[in-house]
Amino acid sequence: MKVIPFPGGGSAGPDEAWLAELEAALNGDGEGAIADSWRELRQDVRALVPPIAPEFERELGERIAERGARAASKQPDRRLGWLRPPGRLGAAASVAAIGAVVAAVVIAGPWRAGTAGPIEAPSNQPAVSSNAGRAESSTAGRAESAHPLPQASNEAFRAAKSATAEGSASASAGAASNAPALAPAAGGAGLAPGRVQQLAASITLAATPGDVQETADRVSRLAVSDGGFVQSSHVQVQQSGTSEASLDLSLPSAKLSAALASLGQLAPVRAESQSLQDITNTYDAARQRLGDATAERQALLHALSRATTEGQIDSLHERISQNRGAIAQAQAALQTVSRHASTAQVEVTVLGDAHTGSEGLTLHRGLHDAGRVLVVTLVVLLIAAALLLPLALLAVALATARRTWRRYQRERVLDTR
Amino acid sequence: MSRSVPSSDEHAQPGVARAWPGALDGEAFEALFRECGADVHAYAISLLGERTAAEDVTALAFERLYRSRARLDHRRGTPRAWLFAIARNAALDELRRRRRQPRYELEDELAADRDCAEALEHVERRTAVHDALAALPPREREVVLLKFHGQLSNSELARALGISESNAGTRLHRALTRLREGCLQAERQEEIA
Repeated sequence: MKVIPFPGGGSAGPDEAWLAELEAALNGDGEGAIADSWRELRQDVRALVPPIAPEFERELGERIAERGARAASKQPDRRLGWLRPPGRLGAAASVAAIGAVVAAVVIAGPWRAGTAGPIEAPSNQPAVSSNAGRAESSTAGRAESAHPLPQASNEAFRAAKSATAEGSASASAGAASNAPALAPAAGGAGLAPGRVQQLAASITLAATPGDVQETADRVSRLAVSDGGFVQSSHVQVQQSGTSEASLDLSLPSAKLSAALASLGQLAPVRAESQSLQDITNTYDAARQRLGDATAERQALLHALSRATTEGQIDSLHERISQNRGAIAQAQAALQTVSRHASTAQVEVTVLGDAHTGSEGLTLHRGLHDAGRVLVVTLVVLLIAAALLLPLALLAVALATARRTWRRYQRERVLDTR
Repeated sequence: MSRSVPSSDEHAQPGVARAWPGALDGEAFEALFRECGADVHAYAISLLGERTAAEDVTALAFERLYRSRARLDHRRGTPRAWLFAIARNAALDELRRRRRQPRYELEDELAADRDCAEALEHVERRTAVHDALAALPPREREVVLLKFHGQLSNSELARALGISESNAGTRLHRALTRLREGCLQAERQEEIA
């Protein structure tokens, strides 16, 4: 038997040269007896096992060739690779990610109490009230009312306002000339022709704290330009917190609608209400008193022209003097009622806080809203990541443990003898 | 030995198994099978001792390699190294499933087949190698089988075994030393006999 001259035997461990020599010999690079002995040993070891069965080799080769041809025929488009259904791991990861995002949205959602959303819905609290004897409604097209009145009420309001405007115009003209001409024009296009009505409105505008003063100034200028005036105003600007301005305007009734529309363009409308009060009876009573006093004056003057005695003349002069005072009072009362009909009282409130500035469609507000959307999106992603991270760590730990366990089980086969 | 060795002993020839082919597509995979199929089968049969089980493991190894071809990383070894790492895992799983230990006892049919085909001198030498190999601890025998059947470099051997390269070198050195001692012992026994 040929003795195999194994090299390097006897040493405690391999050195670099030994390993390099072995590698060179097995790679066919080494020469000499030692290299030959390594190659012989490898040949002997390899020759110990029987060759692969030709049938199996052919069958497996055919299967591999068939699979390769099948794979080549349906080469997946790399661009559409993401459309392929995910594996079990991908599906689990997708489900976990979607669940985490949903949970994050639920946690950080704008509907959660105490959490501001990216774009707050305007907290409209319109001061629409329904007092007895007063017909009130909000103007159509301003969807700010939480409890919009029926459409019929809106139409009634507009018709009444139209009639009021006409009546007010004629009443103003009449007041300027004399009492009988104060009668409101009848036959208006409204539902209450010939009625005298008083209009009032209130509007709440939203502005940023820094814009409250400027908005209040613009409201004042608008009132003057519409032929009205500011009855009273109060502006409170604070460095921090809520700033507020309140103005009481007196505007021509005929220009109320246009004025409200102009006010709405100054700043986003937070709330708006309009009211109407019928003062026809008051007007008629005042006109009646003026008519009575005027008729009494005519009668007194007629009696004076017929008086013959000194006593009758003095008495009639005294009564005419008293009648003059009554006429003056009646005219003043009629003018007051007429002024109520011709002018509308408008309460304007300008609220300025950080949230009110997020309404409207200006570039600044758009950027502000976009920033808030990004912040909330970031918060949602952060919460989702906070939910996913422990899950991912757990999954990695489980996968590592499973791999380690399988490896341990495999290696144990080699350890047991 | 009248029958040729299942695979070429020549390491020097570069093929798809040694040079990274880029994408392991159909043709490259067929070439890999032609180069390594017999070696994988030889390694599996020497680890499992049964032809049927070795064929199952061989088919399974190629199947798994094909399925994971997209994840192959050329920085972590050649296709041959990947293939033998997969084959090793599959063979050990098979042994574990069958609650068996690795052995180096070829089936009688195979042994007889082998004996008839070889010259007497070769038979004596290879019998000594066989016995020495069978006497090795499974872990050391596995290193020898991977080294000679898989024709893996030391770094590839380390990756296949999941150990460091120096550890793989140590284990290989120890296994070959014991193999040598086993062969010498067999020689002495034969001389005494």
